[in-house]
Amino acid sequence: MHLFLLIGLVAFSAVAILCRELLKSAISLAVASIFLALLLFEMGAVYAGVFELSVVAGLITVLFITAIALTRGDGDVAEGRAQRWVFPLFFLALAVVDVLVMRRLLGRIPAIQGSESGGFSQVLWNQRTFDLVGQVGVISAGVLAVLALFRREGGHGKGEGHE
Amino acid sequence: MLFLYIIVPLLLAGLLPLLGKLSKRLLPDLLASAAMLFLLVLTVIGARPLISGGGVIQQATWFQAPLNIRLLLDGFSLLMLFTIALVSFVVCVYSIGYMEHYGAKANYYALLLVMIAGMNGLVLSGDLFTIYVFLEMAAVASYALVAFGRGPDELEAAFKYLMLSAVASAFVLLSIAVLFAVTGGVGFGAVAQGLKTLNVRTLVGICSALFLAGFGLKAALVPFHSWLPDAHPSAPAPISAMLSGVLIKVSGVYAMTRVFLGVFGLTPALTTVLTVLGVVSIFVGALAAIGQNDIKRMLAYSSISQIGYVVLGIGIGTPLGILGGLFHLFNHALFKSLLFLNAGAVEQSTGTRSLDKMGGLAKVMPVTAVTSVVGSLSIAGVPPLNGFWSKLLIIIALVQAKMLTLAVLAVLGSVITLWYYLVLQHQAFFGKLNEAWKSVREAPFWMSAATVVLALLCVAVGLAFPFVVGTWLQPAADALGQGVNVALNFIGF
Repeated sequence: MHLFLLIGLVAFSAVAILCRELLKSAISLAVASIFLALLLFEMGAVYAGVFELSVVAGLITVLFITAIALTRGDGDVAEGRAQRWVFPLFFLALAVVDVLVMRRLLGRIPAIQGSESGGFSQVLWNQRTFDLVGQVGVISAGVLAVLALFRREGGHGKGEGHE
Repeated sequence: MLFLYIIVPLLLAGLLPLLGKLSKRLLPDLLASAAMLFLLVLTVIGARPLISGGGVIQQATWFQAPLNIRLLLDGFSLLMLFTIALVSFVVCVYSIGYMEHYGAKANYYALLLVMIAGMNGLVLSGDLFTIYVFLEMAAVASYALVAFGRGPDELEAAFKYLMLSAVASAFVLLSIAVLFAVTGGVGFGAVAQGLKTLNVRTLVGICSALFLAGFGLKAALVPFHSWLPDAHPSAPAPISAMLSGVLIKVSGVYAMTRVFLGVFGLTPALTTVLTVLGVVSIFVGALAAIGQNDIKRMLAYSSISQIGYVVLGIGIGTPLGILGGLFHLFNHALFKSLLFLNAGAVEQSTGTRSLDKMGGLAKVMPVTAVTSVVGSLSIAGVPPLNGFWSKLLIIIALVQAKMLTLAVLAVLGSVITLWYYLVLQHQAFFGKLNEAWKSVREAPFWMSAATVVLALLCVAVGLAFPFVVGTWLQPAADALGQGVNVALNFIGF
């Protein structure tokens, strides 16, 4: 089951990158996120699965599709011929390295378990409080960025000033 | 007390969009500058005495109630806090005049403060994952600040910056995930102890490569530099100063140094990689700067070159090399911020960034011209200014480490730097005054005041360099010189 979900995740992620229509690319990414969410559920990371499914597969996909619809540009992304081959080659090389090196390497490493264990809320509130402050900061930065970039009052006309 | 470095800018950032409704200019200007002055004074008076006995861990409190947040302060993080606070304060003062024509000052300062809180959080963290979170916090704010002008150039540069920065973050996160899987922790102490116990060299090599690519992208080290020449010139001048002056150092050099020296321990292989990348950056940045006609683009390429010196010094790994690298990091924050602020003043007065169209501006903008000359001579390493001493320390460290070829190349790089900065000064400020600029006036008071402060600091640090080294830099070099022992002392952090 894990292997099936993993293959689905990798396949749809690759399609999202290779696809030349933005809409199809966004949908492939959403399907890849669903596979990832299912994988997380399967492995017992329920909270991570819920976040992945709701935020990445749901919210982000809606944002992508809205943005694509609003821009109304043609979906094709112009690319050079070389660029079309870069990702498949990189992907193939990564898969070879993964099969030849990483599997053998990770098998040799005895993982230390449990120094950051506990329930989700316990980990978040008791062990990772500092990260929580950082997350608040990241969200604040996003909100402030939207306020600043979509502000109503006139800009400064810098674009014209540039040579 | 250390929590104030994060919570003060973050709270003020939350309040500013609301306060901006009451007062569009005065309150945002006043509060942002006051907050930065407060953090600067706090660093000098409050934080510096804390490290007299070495590094400290401080538990954060909220209205005297303890929080599950522990902050790590040692000489290296203190130096970074000081650099961030100093440059941020000057940038806030400069922004009073410069940001007038952009509008939305409250939003601008709010984003700037979030970026500063992110950088402060990063340097006070003793945990790899927390470093990643605060790295993202500073990065998200910086994307918006680069695009703040909303012109086509700014938006394109911000998008490019965002894309490459996301790749960098992915490399960093992947490396942290691998280390967590192997060692069972993400705290500096837990990772250092785990790697020591397990003796997994290949894995450390892979993680080092991932961190190098991730933090190298953030630091704009060659060959990971392609985003910087677009992003830094496109941003408003004070943001260019913040990005080149401190952000690339905090999110790139600081994080890389902390991991490589403090958690992994510097190996001969890492020394070779860092010194070679440092020298390559010096030359690629300097040679690319020579051909630039856009003043801010030239400065951006120069940043790549100067970051090369910092990485070269730290990469040597000897006490003197680390000291020289850190000294150059601090100096570069001063003179590169100064040069970007000057470029902003020129651009605002003339409406152009093209060096071909300038000329003779010293006659109409004397303060900007003089401070710009000081900045250029400092960055080129002319004695007795601050840049001379830091470059000298790096070159002596290279000679001591028997890296003579690299020492010669470092000197050569400095000569090229002097050359293109003299060209910049000649084209912009000297010679015959272009007819079009006869009606140009000196930059407004607050902008000039900020550049004068930075120019004076370049001179003062150069003249009083033993004091600056003893007070701020030696504790930082000592902290790094202890290698992984600092992290091992903080196991369970």
